[in-house]
Amino acid sequence: MGTLPTVQAQPPTPTAASAGSWFLARANLQVLIDLLRSDGRTVVGPTVADGTIVLEEIESTEQLPAGWHDDQAPGKYRLASGGDDRLFDYTVGPTSPKRWTFPPRVPLAVGQRDQGSVSFQAVHPDAPRVAFLGIRACELAGLKVQDRVFLGGPFTDEDYRSRRSATLTIAVECAVAGGTCFCTSMGTGPAVRDGADLVLSELAGGFIVRAGSPAGAELLVRLPLATASTDQTMAARRQVESVAEAIGDPVATEGLRDRLLAQWDSPRWLQIAERCMTCTNCTLVCPTCFCSSVTQRSDLDGSVNTNERIWDSCFSLGFAKVAAGNFRSRARDRYRQWLTHKFATWLDQFGSFGCVGCGRCITWCPVGIDVRAELAAVAPPLETRTADLEPAATTPAEYTIARVRSTRLETADTATMLLDRLDPAFPAGAPGQFVMVNLPGFPPLPISISRYRPDGIELTIRAAGPATTQLTSLARGDEIGLRGPLGTAWPVERAVGRDVIVVTGGIGLAPLRSLIDAILAQRLRFGTVRVYYGARTPKDLLYTDELERWAARDDLEVGITVDRAGAESGWTGPVGIVTHLFDRATWDGSRAVAFVCGPERMMEATAQVLGERGLKPDRIFVTLERHMECGIGLCGHCQMGRYFVCKDGPVFSLAKLTDVFGREGI
Amino acid sequence: MTVLSALRTGPRAAPARLRVGIVKFASCDGCQLSLLDLEDELVAIAERFDIVEFPEASSQRSSGPYDLLLVEGSVSSPDQAREIVELRRAARMLVTIGACATTGGIQALRNWADHDAYRAAVYAHPEYVDSLATATPISQHVQVDAELHGCPINAGLLREMLASLAMGRRPQIRDEAVCAECKRRGAVCVLVSGGTPCLGPVTRAGCGALCPAFARGCYGCFGPKEHANATELAAWFEAGGRAPSDVGRLFAGFTAYAEPFRSLITERRGTRMVGDGPIVSPARPVEPAPMGVPTPTEPVAPLPLAVAAPPEPPPPTAAPKRRPSRRKR
Repeated sequence: MGTLPTVQAQPPTPTAASAGSWFLARANLQVLIDLLRSDGRTVVGPTVADGTIVLEEIESTEQLPAGWHDDQAPGKYRLASGGDDRLFDYTVGPTSPKRWTFPPRVPLAVGQRDQGSVSFQAVHPDAPRVAFLGIRACELAGLKVQDRVFLGGPFTDEDYRSRRSATLTIAVECAVAGGTCFCTSMGTGPAVRDGADLVLSELAGGFIVRAGSPAGAELLVRLPLATASTDQTMAARRQVESVAEAIGDPVATEGLRDRLLAQWDSPRWLQIAERCMTCTNCTLVCPTCFCSSVTQRSDLDGSVNTNERIWDSCFSLGFAKVAAGNFRSRARDRYRQWLTHKFATWLDQFGSFGCVGCGRCITWCPVGIDVRAELAAVAPPLETRTADLEPAATTPAEYTIARVRSTRLETADTATMLLDRLDPAFPAGAPGQFVMVNLPGFPPLPISISRYRPDGIELTIRAAGPATTQLTSLARGDEIGLRGPLGTAWPVERAVGRDVIVVTGGIGLAPLRSLIDAILAQRLRFGTVRVYYGARTPKDLLYTDELERWAARDDLEVGITVDRAGAESGWTGPVGIVTHLFDRATWDGSRAVAFVCGPERMMEATAQVLGERGLKPDRIFVTLERHMECGIGLCGHCQMGRYFVCKDGPVFSLAKLTDVFGREGI
Repeated sequence: MTVLSALRTGPRAAPARLRVGIVKFASCDGCQLSLLDLEDELVAIAERFDIVEFPEASSQRSSGPYDLLLVEGSVSSPDQAREIVELRRAARMLVTIGACATTGGIQALRNWADHDAYRAAVYAHPEYVDSLATATPISQHVQVDAELHGCPINAGLLREMLASLAMGRRPQIRDEAVCAECKRRGAVCVLVSGGTPCLGPVTRAGCGALCPAFARGCYGCFGPKEHANATELAAWFEAGGRAPSDVGRLFAGFTAYAEPFRSLITERRGTRMVGDGPIVSPARPVEPAPMGVPTPTEPVAPLPLAVAAPPEPPPPTAAPKRRPSRRKR
């Protein structure tokens, strides 16, 4: 097989080998296979069979799919050859390493019954020493997912343990993107980060090789290798990066768990069930699905019973059956069980998604049901802007210019400015972010963006000092300097599928107004939405026209209170601090997310009342005010414990702030 | 009366030797031959079961009564319609075996055709042929206690049913799609990889995915699975460029008369397999059911044999793991 390379670099030691990148001539791939086989390993690799690239035991590079390419789409797999003789230019086929680490049938025990006594003899099949050649990043991730299931404890699967510990993984980084791939979204590929003993990247004439484990390093030492050139390693990196770009980000995983779990009653389940065959294909090709059943085969009088574990599926009719009935008899129940497990409840049970984005369930669904599309339909992601723009200007040395289009007086000392003719980065910001505003001659100020409009932003400013007084008196056509948008945003996606509580006092409504806009823009995505707002007097209420419109809506509860009404105001609403609006309310906050902005003492009191209503600190978000000069975490003014409020905030969850929130002198 | 209670003799009772009869109606005898395929266990079976009627194996005849009656074949003639009622009276438990007995079989395709025209075309003296216009499953005539599907039935499943009866437990027969067996076996999906129309996703398991393992689409011999979504599968075939008439023909095989295949075939009017006559109503029970069992006015849905956590039949040992390779060398 082939010829030995003419160039042999310094024979690497295992230590050196584990650090560097090496080049294995294509002709020497057979040397690797022979080495593995001489170590007593069964080499399992890709090969063409039945019009498909499957994993099978191989002995020679001749069996690898040289020049074959796959074309995958929902419910469709086709092979084509030609053009080249590359060995790994395709993505995953129907077989996954699961077939060896968690085989479709495994004998468990033989039970015997003799008169009144019984006995059980466990069967421990020998674990074959398998070396997987050419498996992909998503498949390594699949093995890790099953590791957590079977070995994460407290109880473990010993058959899996013995098989898994006898495996060696020689991964190949994908050089092409498949039509059903979404590893990029699930964070599993296409680049191989860990979990492989050896990692290959195919280039013309051979492979960049690097070790991923001590076992891999030991193997490297025994291979005829040359040192990889910088060009070669760069080419390999560009190759896998181009695959990631081609795949894109088909599944929005941000907040996916919560979004999905808010959809138990979605009408979409029924629509999927009309197409679903409940045929179990998706689960049986899945590299992480681990459902099984134990079957018995007995002799005619039942004295000897052989127990066997076989692959089963949550799509099987009898899978959730008990004597009195079947918990998941309908197709919609079974599909919902599968999808919510893979993308939501798996996280609670095992700390990761149950999906690695290999796309097998899409390709091998006989009627092409596409999990990417179903996720988007059942639990659509929040509407996102097409591109998250970088802040328009960051350092205090640079400002972009915006123009005041209009100024509206909200109260005696507060005005809202609409700014236009500005950099597109500003309208592309997120609720809760702020801008640094600079009027030459005055110190720059951080101001929350109180509204995003397609053509501009609004800033609501209270005239509290000379700079703000100047700002509130600007007129149409005046220009100001802007940097931003800066800082963290309200995590709207955390509230999807949950109730929303907004609590605010005084000027604190300004940074929450853009949040309320975002929620109302997709109102159906959220549960009950309650807004509680307190001001000093009726005359200090901001956005009064909008407050009336909000209060008139059926899908928004608005409570407003003032500290002092005064006889002349005609105020008939509640008087008192804002928490009095809900400290005797009956709603349950355990399924809610709260967004709070106001004076720090007010936020502290609010957090306490919200805690009593069942909200956990990680679901209460506040925005903090501190002295900010640079807005980018470099000047030190806004430091609060371990945070720079401008950069790490201003929006924080209470859970993050615990030890510093409300503490005097920080 | 369930499968279990029909024959339970008590947990500690000495096993009784059950009196078993095997009878046939319109059928090819392949299903009863499956019993003879259990060569290694025939002696044990004979020790446990007293087989008093078995036309393929013995000329001995019996008139009953039977603890267990295995019925093969569909009801195709007036004589058969009368005889099945007699037999039901003589059997404590009646189990139908095979596609003919459970769904009407391949001969039920005549239910879509002009029976008289066919009879006249084939026979010189059609007046001597006393047949019904339809071939119908046994369950449309008498109460059936359990069904074993397939064309032919799987010998392993027959053995499992006999073993479960002998032990007084539920038979472990999985109610799942052919796909499950196909995937466990490691066969490649012919529908996805080659576009070959395959009824596997809507067909009951039991054959060990025999056809797909040899690069053929499933013909649906074991009949529709639970929740058989034939409508969607047919739509998928049509979306792939097949004419509705061709798609209807795919379902018009050994279990064509079982719902939902039956409705699907009927809906695609161009798919009449033979003739173009009107669709004939199936026969109805001609006499009250025996042994105090209420007469079914509609076809009775027999007890499914499948229960949770059962085994699937062992795959045929002679079958190669893969079909002839199309490998590139």
